[in-house]
Amino acid sequence: MERTHRLELFPQHSVTVLLFQHVKNAAALRKKAMEGSIDGALINPAMIVDPFQILVAANKAVHLQKIGKMKTRTLNAEIIFSLSPSNNISDAFKKFGISDSDTAVLIVLVVDGDKTVNLADIASQVEGQQVSLDELPQLTDTAKVKKMYKITPQEEKIGTLLDSVVCRMSTKDVL
Amino acid sequence: GAPRMRCVGPSMAAAQTEAGGARSVTAGAAGPAMGDAEPVGPGMGERGAAGPAVDGPEGEAGTATVAEEPPAPPPLPGLRLVQQGAEAHVYRGLFLGRAAVAKLRVPKRYRHPALEERLSRRRMAQEARSLLRCRRAGIPAPVVYFVDYVTNSIFLEDIVDSITVQDHIYSVQKSGGDTSGLHKLAEKMGELLARMHDEDIIHGDLTTANLLLRPPMEKLDLVLIDFGLSFISGLPEDKGVDLYVLEKAFISTHPDTETMFQALLKTYAATSKKSGPVIKKLDEVRLRGRKRSMIG
Repeated sequence: MERTHRLELFPQHSVTVLLFQHVKNAAALRKKAMEGSIDGALINPAMIVDPFQILVAANKAVHLQKIGKMKTRTLNAEIIFSLSPSNNISDAFKKFGISDSDTAVLIVLVVDGDKTVNLADIASQVEGQQVSLDELPQLTDTAKVKKMYKITPQEEKIGTLLDSVVCRMSTKDVL
Repeated sequence: GAPRMRCVGPSMAAAQTEAGGARSVTAGAAGPAMGDAEPVGPGMGERGAAGPAVDGPEGEAGTATVAEEPPAPPPLPGLRLVQQGAEAHVYRGLFLGRAAVAKLRVPKRYRHPALEERLSRRRMAQEARSLLRCRRAGIPAPVVYFVDYVTNSIFLEDIVDSITVQDHIYSVQKSGGDTSGLHKLAEKMGELLARMHDEDIIHGDLTTANLLLRPPMEKLDLVLIDFGLSFISGLPEDKGVDLYVLEKAFISTHPDTETMFQALLKTYAATSKKSGPVIKKLDEVRLRGRKRSMIG
């Protein structure tokens, strides 16, 4: 159902990704996440091409947290910011975070070694149905993603959409 | 920066490296961007760059008196050390569930730490930037997965089951086969390099070991790798030198490939709109090379 991956470079941390459909309380969930009562990043699945994209964002966020160079204030915010090709934090939240009218929500949890995370507890707070991550491709808005990341037509010939997205995410701040 | 650095270092060092046949990872100590900053300048360039480069896999030059601490290998599952270059140790392993290549820079302790940091950072940034630029232009190059600015290491896509053009040419020549296939390969290479140069991307270390062929080999699906010495430049001189480095590498590593390289250049000229001045510069650079009479 959900997927968990231990970050190789930060073995203390593992990343769990959960996907929910037919969500009715997106507004309430967003509030909870902002308050901190849900310790996870709530992401709009339409902008996500593959769970690998989430892992790349989470890896970068954890790295920046460890060296004290996050651009945002929390790890969860940093994950959302890392997904965005733009350096504007509020824009990142608007495009990659969830909005009150969303019916599908992706929740990313980064767990630090000893802390146990109660997935059932998180899932129970969502008024919706948890589905397998295999359903993600159906929820992706490919056109929106291409526009957001400004994918060129030449690029599409040499790799997948995921390739282009990940490349931009990882080199965003290289200049 | 100073992309027009008139260093003999990189081209000769790179060419020599390939003469050794080793798949060297960025041998040039006197790269274009740092010519002005390098304290052990052009005088040392030849030996300094050539030293570690020729030693290739050993990673430490005979002349080095300061031991260079190799970086700790990244804890990736399925980790294998692929190459111990002078500039970086290259590993293969699984990163975030994907086959990846990790390039960890080797810190040079003989350099002033501030310089070392700046150089390391710049090289890595150049590599990442070039890779992104290639991708945007539709030039096949590995995807960047993660850039670590602390250790100046980069995690890239591993082109699985690929072979270098170098190995491909060796095996074709050995089995006495298909030179028409090699001709086509050369044309494809020429086309790819023309497109790269039209984007003003200078590879900096063009050798047949830095060009990969994705399976199936007959498709001639090429991928450029190792942009550690790359930079952005529109100057025909830089593009000409880029091609010259490849030519030297070609001729020294692969016997009887003059016609192949000619086919490469022909397609290059046909593909690139700006090729005229570049080929002209290439001819000029050829006349400049080592052991050339500087008459007239």
